[in-house]
Amino acid sequence: MKAGRQPGEMQIDSSERDDVLLRRSANGDEEAFTLLYRRHQAPIYRFALRMTGNTWAAEEIVQDVFMTLVREPKKYDAERGALGAFLYGVARNRIMKHQERLPREVPLLNPEDDGFAGYPQAVDSATPAHWAELRERRDHVRAAVLELPADFREAVALCLLEEMSYEEAAESLQCPVGTIRSRLHRGRALLLAKLEMLRDTPKRANGTR
Amino acid sequence: MTCEEFQMADLDSRLIAEEGPLQQAARQHLLECPHCAALHENWQALRTDLHALGAETREVEAPSRVELRLRQEFRTKHKTLKRRRVALVSAWALAGAAVVLCAITWFNWRLQQGQIANMQQTRGGQSTVTAANSTGGAQHVNPAGPELGEVLMAFNDSGEFTLLPGTMPGSLDDATVVHVQMQRGALGALGLTVNEEHAADWIQLDLLVGADGQPQAVRLPASSN
Repeated sequence: MKAGRQPGEMQIDSSERDDVLLRRSANGDEEAFTLLYRRHQAPIYRFALRMTGNTWAAEEIVQDVFMTLVREPKKYDAERGALGAFLYGVARNRIMKHQERLPREVPLLNPEDDGFAGYPQAVDSATPAHWAELRERRDHVRAAVLELPADFREAVALCLLEEMSYEEAAESLQCPVGTIRSRLHRGRALLLAKLEMLRDTPKRANGTR
Repeated sequence: MTCEEFQMADLDSRLIAEEGPLQQAARQHLLECPHCAALHENWQALRTDLHALGAETREVEAPSRVELRLRQEFRTKHKTLKRRRVALVSAWALAGAAVVLCAITWFNWRLQQGQIANMQQTRGGQSTVTAANSTGGAQHVNPAGPELGEVLMAFNDSGEFTLLPGTMPGSLDDATVVHVQMQRGALGALGLTVNEEHAADWIQLDLLVGADGQPQAVRLPASSN
């Protein structure tokens, strides 16, 4: 026998389709909206976080994206694609606007000051020196990703960080699979070049001493 | 396999691990081309770092305050919409009621106007003097009497007595019928309208004379026409 529902638990079948939930949400069904939000917020938030490198900005972008669903639910047309892809589209626009507003705000190596404080850090059981080295390398990688042009960064964020398939990434970014491959290829080249440069910099600095 | 083909194929992590003609060609190219071998090695290291970076944020979700804010916004928006809808429905209902009220008022007014017109027509017919028939008896008097603004005509063939202007209907109980012959013009002195062309004609008529000797009503027999 099924146990009774807990307070705050969703009354809607979680397998209900997005467009059905959205229709109910547009009619004022808060539960449907909450379920939609919980279903899609995490990937959108991660995408925004990886694109901006800033938890505050990512939070604001997620809020904006879902506010669009609240205010203009008719903007989404189920015949044109999945709701997830639509939300990624809205998120991309918001990210672009955010970056236009703050063209120089690229948080690099000072996590505590630039919104990276909330960015989770891997816990390593190795020595502090090893942990510090690992952290430094990841910071370099993160910074290199954030410095990629937006198109390449999107492909890297979805395929390499979110580990989506090329097809899924293509659907989310609403472009052909070939475009994703090509952006990834060029993004990788830029990343490798950037990281090589970062790796070389301290060596050169040490060499001058 | 060319370097470019290898680099495109190398994006896929399963390139080296799996078996197949493409993978074999890639492995062969890797052995033959040191540049691509170095690139592959760097790429694998970068992929590991990216994977670790991705893993750090794989379970990350938006803070719960975002959900709270959105739900609050949702409630506010839909409450406002609901209020607006109620106001709209009320406004339409009021407008509808006003239209119905106007329609009913107008209909009643039209009905009243029709009734007034009918009443006036009926009264107009009743107030006409007819003096052609004397068989109705001396006391057969139009009880309503002449209304204000109505015209008493000397030629009337209703055969009934018609009250002279200024006569009260109740004072006819002791009246007497007097058969008289007179010039039509003399009817003017009794307050009746007389056609001037026939004023000199002699006519016979019945006068209803009250107890005080004053004529109260008049009846023109048919022969006098």
